[in-house]
Amino acid sequence: MMRYPRPMLDSEFIYLDHAAATPVDEQVRAAMAPYETQLFFNPSSPYKPAWDVRHAFEQARADLAHAIGAKPAEVVITAGATESINLAVGAVNACEGEPGLQGGAHHVVASAIEHSAVLACVQQHPHTLVPVNGNGLIDPRDVRAAIRDDTCLVTIGLANNEIGTIQPLRAISETIQHVRQERLRNGSAVPIYLHTDASQCAGLLDVNVSTLGVDMLTLNAAKIYGPKQVGLLWASRDVRLCPLVVGGGQERGLRSGTENVAGAVGFAQALQMAVSQRKEEAARLSSLRDALQKALLDANPDAVVSGHKKHRLPNLLHISFPGLDAERLVYLLEDQGVYVGTGAACAANKATRSHVLEAIGLADDAADGSLRFSLGRLSTQDNTQRAARIVVDVVRGEYERVGSEHVRMNAESFWDNEPVPPKGLW
Amino acid sequence: MTPQEFAAASLPLVGRRPKVLVGMSGGVDSSVAAALLVEQGMRVVGAYMKNWTLDVPGMQCPWAEDLAYAKRTAVKLGIDLKVYDFQDVYKREVVDYLVREYEAGRTPNPDIMCNSHVKFGLFLKTALDEGFDYIATGHYARVGKGSDGSVEETGKDYRPWFLNDVAQHPPVLRRGVDEHKDQTYFLYRMGGEALKRTLFPLGGFAKTQVREMAQQRGLPAADKPDSQGICFIGEAPIKDFLRMYTQPRPGLIVDADTKEEVGAHDGALYFTLGQRKGLGVGGGEPYYVVGKDMAANIVYVSHDACSPELQTEEIVLEDCAWLSGCSPAPGAYLVRTRHTGPLLEASFDPQGETSGYVRFAQNTERVAPGQSVVVYKDDICLGGGIVR
Repeated sequence: MMRYPRPMLDSEFIYLDHAAATPVDEQVRAAMAPYETQLFFNPSSPYKPAWDVRHAFEQARADLAHAIGAKPAEVVITAGATESINLAVGAVNACEGEPGLQGGAHHVVASAIEHSAVLACVQQHPHTLVPVNGNGLIDPRDVRAAIRDDTCLVTIGLANNEIGTIQPLRAISETIQHVRQERLRNGSAVPIYLHTDASQCAGLLDVNVSTLGVDMLTLNAAKIYGPKQVGLLWASRDVRLCPLVVGGGQERGLRSGTENVAGAVGFAQALQMAVSQRKEEAARLSSLRDALQKALLDANPDAVVSGHKKHRLPNLLHISFPGLDAERLVYLLEDQGVYVGTGAACAANKATRSHVLEAIGLADDAADGSLRFSLGRLSTQDNTQRAARIVVDVVRGEYERVGSEHVRMNAESFWDNEPVPPKGLW
Repeated sequence: MTPQEFAAASLPLVGRRPKVLVGMSGGVDSSVAAALLVEQGMRVVGAYMKNWTLDVPGMQCPWAEDLAYAKRTAVKLGIDLKVYDFQDVYKREVVDYLVREYEAGRTPNPDIMCNSHVKFGLFLKTALDEGFDYIATGHYARVGKGSDGSVEETGKDYRPWFLNDVAQHPPVLRRGVDEHKDQTYFLYRMGGEALKRTLFPLGGFAKTQVREMAQQRGLPAADKPDSQGICFIGEAPIKDFLRMYTQPRPGLIVDADTKEEVGAHDGALYFTLGQRKGLGVGGGEPYYVVGKDMAANIVYVSHDACSPELQTEEIVLEDCAWLSGCSPAPGAYLVRTRHTGPLLEASFDPQGETSGYVRFAQNTERVAPGQSVVVYKDDICLGGGIVR
């Protein structure tokens, strides 16, 4: 039988990468469990137990919708935020037939600091990326300027996953409302939708769809102590979506495939918990984050904190140590049982500089020494303080190593009396 | 640089540790090589060479993961890791060469070109420009003290041969102690000047010892499987890669013995001598590729694995490279026609500096044009050439 690796986890490890992944909550796991075993039935089957499973799935959809102030019929349950984003951006394909859009042009506007899932989708269409300022903030006027007559979709992440900046989504929504009015006055029926990827935000920010003023919203279970590969796209009734995965016609034909009942139930449980605990948890994490930031800045006055000072995810700290190599810091910290990220986990894999840091104009030597701390339910005052001390030590050690031309000294080395070859062969 | 200039420059400098730039791929071999150099008390800096990679869906070279391994190892050893972008040179000298050769109906060896142009070309030059005394790699090969070409047993001493007077006795390239891992076949074009500036810490060890040393030191790559396939396309078959760069040209497969048409192919360039799989001529006895007519776009096959078409007594080498700088004298040598292939007795008859005849003592497998044949005297790798 195949054996999967099980890393030896130091029971004392300190996890500071909640923006990358979160452990499934015990209550979530308990809610899911029956649907993985006894209640395994296909929700589309005709007999009673299967019928019950379908009801559980629909109840989960209703709970998800309720948690974001939406109607159940407007929620599509997907296999994660990336799929939701694909579905949302794919809506522009439905606009193709709209009068006024000759040749099927369907322009999309996004911010320059969107998650790569969004950017990759947007790049399949004519698009404009809106710049951000040094804090990562979008100016709604720039969004207005980017909107063309054939723009069907504006997609702006509610909060950035790397630096945590929260966008003025309400103001952007108002801008788009103006565009709609203008279009109608000019006799244009070309629709324009606002989508937001709020994957990082549930449990930390208000994700009520009417408060946000959006037309589509993406959420993800994996970031809120729910299972991976489960997400949702909420789309207002005005939005016409295009099928993404065709087959048996599940999810109103938008994404076929037997429903992930356990996943949806777990997601619903996780989202309800996240929303109900949001205010206290956000306040708790914010104070831990601020203390961590202060400790790191006190020890390293030259370190650079990115993201907006005030409009920032309460659990997130993006800090750069100019001249250091972030990956080395990660490996050194991991040795001490502290797990942090260098940015979005996907971007880090590509070993290239983050487009987010480029967009905010962070200097290269600072960008290369950037760590992203994201706190969450595993964070306590005690372990956050300990982590701060460890980070300070590791950073100091690396600055010392880089500062002195590093020589691994060995007092008894036989080299000291050996001849060394000449320079300049070439 | 003339030998006189070199000798004049080789005044011993006492009391300075040699600076070594060690190529670290993230694999177990180069990790252990770096560790051994650090333990020797040298001033060691690691280098990750970012070579050209093909990044298309479904076909991925895991270089980001390799880089992470290399960096983890550097952190563990407490050394710096530099990342060099050699993609342009790699693309030009290795990838383009590979495609060009296949298009000409030959079967090139990209690893040999990578060593000669990238690792012991640009990488070495970069290292020397940056003030390093040596480069090192995790190849299984030894740089031996060469005293008039005679072999001097240095055992597991991977301390530099450079304590020798390299101007009077240029070092020689010797096979690694582990005959199953010996990589001199890939190194024969590295160049004699490069040899003077290169350390191969693993040459005196067996692979199993290297794995053990990695485990003892807790190096991240201790259990990492050896890399397979061509480095820039990972495990993808070469044919899949070639299809992206070449136009398919359908043609016929003809039985060389009966002269009958037995099937069709999508391009003679995708087939190589001795190939058995992937002919698409299913059923019955297997066929072997015994020849190609590129002009007529015909692939010749035979049922006979011992077909005379697959045997040869003589090979013509061209584009030869000799580590000493000049052709060996006519005479009896050992030759190898593929990596870790058997060392075959043969005579070598040089024709000028860059070509020559290899005559085998016994009939042997024919070697596809474009492949390299490497010449040894005892365990010294003298150089070699490319089969015409």
